[in-house]
Amino acid sequence: MSESGFQPREITVLYFAAASTATNLTSENIAIPHGRFHLSALSDLLQSRHPNSNLGKVLEGSQWSVDCEMVDDPDAIELKGGEEIAVICPVSGG
Amino acid sequence: MSATPTTSVDATLLIPEGICVLCHNPINIENVANSVRDDAAGASAIFIGTTRNSFKGKTVTRLEYQAYSKLAIKTMANIVQAAATSISRSDHHPDNQKVRSLIRCAVYHRLGTVPVGEPSIVIAVSSPHRKEALIACELILEEVKRKAQIWKREYYDGESESEAEWKENV
Repeated sequence: MSESGFQPREITVLYFAAASTATNLTSENIAIPHGRFHLSALSDLLQSRHPNSNLGKVLEGSQWSVDCEMVDDPDAIELKGGEEIAVICPVSGG
Repeated sequence: MSATPTTSVDATLLIPEGICVLCHNPINIENVANSVRDDAAGASAIFIGTTRNSFKGKTVTRLEYQAYSKLAIKTMANIVQAAATSISRSDHHPDNQKVRSLIRCAVYHRLGTVPVGEPSIVIAVSSPHRKEALIACELILEEVKRKAQIWKREYYDGESESEAEWKENV
């Protein structure tokens, strides 16, 4: 089967607050590479899509949620496609 | 004005311990207070957080809140449930007997643009006794500020909108 025969695996990334200001987006659907892809690799992928932004710095100080669960260890989460992932910047409710 | 995420929407979650609400409309304090009323209560503690008009000498013109609502409302409910489980009254009961002492809790947080002087968060807790109501109210407030996936941006008089600062609770 040719490479194009694979179904693209897409995830939805949600941006709030400083992450949204950095990317000028509130969400985007992106294809993840073939093979095993861990959440910990997502930072680099997102930064490569927004090279002239301060997104890298924002991500450094943020956490992730996957399908509405906060993530403790991004190395332990393998993305399969279809997930809703959010960049959770330091919160400021109240 | 920031682009509003489509996931920052009104949400309500009813749990056995009370109610959690995210709303764009102004919070009606009396409604929140009434939602925890109970004939078994000897006390209701109510905290009202309002938007302040200054930050480090700068004049704040308005605040804007957004939330990842479906996660934030779940976080708020977990906080209320943890408070209800952890706060017990021992004075009137034997030491080894843990008794739930909160009756109902309500946590309302506003979203969108909030003009200066209006409530952005209102928390109400009813209990048979004042002490537990006050302790729970403060505990829930601090935990919501620390954990709930809600963000605030402050806009200052005489500064461009793009300079407006996303705050961080520390």
